[in-house]
Amino acid sequence: MFRAMLRAHWLWSRLFLLVSMLAAFAAPLLMARGFSARNQLGMFGWALDAQREYGFVYPLLAGAVGLILALTAWSADHRGKHIYALSLPIPRWNFVLLRFGAGAVLLALPVVGLWLGALVASATTVLPASLHAYPTILALRFGLAAFVAYALFFAVSAGSNRTAGVFLGTIAGLVVVQILLNTLELDVDILGPITAGLMLWPGPFEVFTGRWMLFDV
Amino acid sequence: MSNAVEIRDLHYQAGSFAIRDLALNVPNGCMYGFLGPNGAGKTTTIRLMLGLLRPLSGRISVLGGSIPQEAPRVLGRTGYVPEQPHLYSAFSIDEAMRYHAAFYRTWDWTWATELLGSFGLARSQRLGKLSKGEMGKLEMLLALAQRPELLVLDEPTDGLDPVVRRDVLTALLEFVSQQNATVFISSHLVHELERICDWVGVMDHGRLVAELPMHSFKNGIKRLHIASPPAEPGDTPFVLLSRERTNGDAEVWVVRGWQGPMSQYFDGVGATLRDVVDLDLEEGFVELLRTFRVPVQEE
Repeated sequence: MFRAMLRAHWLWSRLFLLVSMLAAFAAPLLMARGFSARNQLGMFGWALDAQREYGFVYPLLAGAVGLILALTAWSADHRGKHIYALSLPIPRWNFVLLRFGAGAVLLALPVVGLWLGALVASATTVLPASLHAYPTILALRFGLAAFVAYALFFAVSAGSNRTAGVFLGTIAGLVVVQILLNTLELDVDILGPITAGLMLWPGPFEVFTGRWMLFDV
Repeated sequence: MSNAVEIRDLHYQAGSFAIRDLALNVPNGCMYGFLGPNGAGKTTTIRLMLGLLRPLSGRISVLGGSIPQEAPRVLGRTGYVPEQPHLYSAFSIDEAMRYHAAFYRTWDWTWATELLGSFGLARSQRLGKLSKGEMGKLEMLLALAQRPELLVLDEPTDGLDPVVRRDVLTALLEFVSQQNATVFISSHLVHELERICDWVGVMDHGRLVAELPMHSFKNGIKRLHIASPPAEPGDTPFVLLSRERTNGDAEVWVVRGWQGPMSQYFDGVGATLRDVVDLDLEEGFVELLRTFRVPVQEE
């Protein structure tokens, strides 16, 4: 059953997966190329800053991979109003788990792509003595970020349009309330603590923040 | 005779539509025709029967398993063809078969391949590009190749052309002849069920109007032409479904449960029975619904 589920998910998302795998492979190579060019000009600090500045590409790609895989996990069932899935002889929790697992396995493709790209980039870049390459850690972090995004969007897209509407509506509502409070010059910060709780350790999205660098001290 | 499907005191509500007090019995090994006009609640009943929807109250037993608690086990022995195509359109026919087969231990690849040939389907065809008829045949193929003990078909031939309809029904009859399976087939195409079913249930407005063997349904409903009918029919030995004045003092009565000796009733009330006409299933169905709807409209 899992193989069937995996194959189905692959069929739905193969084009995107191949593109994201290529992008993940290319990203560290391009960054390493830029790093080398600046480093050869003796602009070591600039090279490091540029790498830090463009590091947002990794979490962005991880988020996109998670989002698309989560959406493709359920879009076919949404179109068929879940009749097919419900009529299969398998408990609902088991079906959801298989679907989730299939997507999680497919996440490995862009992660491997990034890891290979980072390994090639590390092997072909001459680094100053004070710097080290971290291809495996970068790939693992990318995988974790993609998994967090996938899990979140999988849960949202598994529900009905109404559930997704409630979820997005709540976020929009909080933003609107915060804007109103700011307009009224009331010193009440709603979004700050929520954002901090989510983005700072041990928040689930902490993995997206901070330095995403292949070469670091 | 035990029942493949038993429903008792079933209640379900979705918006303004409701199923009330539904009781239904599908005997083992029979072909049960589930009749009703559009919107009668046939599809909802089927979805409740298979555990796709949850009832408010009542008991549902399918193949000895309680629904929805034992739905996965029951669904493993049940083939289901829904009203609307529900398969993944990005799949090819081959991919759809492989995906489906992975969930059924009784899947028969040999027969699936045979059906593929007799339905004229190619493995490489994309589901999104199939015509309505081809999709109908594929849905039937998937349900049959499971070798199910119970086959639930929700309007399986609705919208199909006569050739495809014949192919689908032929495959169905071949399956029934090979395997002592129970078939539950919902339709509003009355003539189609008349030919193949041995039991019939009629549903309207979320209620079961009648449930009886097909021969009783077909033979028991008659149109009687009566001269000088009584103003009040009184205690009749049959069920009077409707009466209509024609010309003069003649009337046409539609009755259920008719048997020859009952003609004596008319002698007793001073009327003359001029003719007894057999109604086909469709006419009987229409009359049944008409009489059922009168009290509903008066409420």
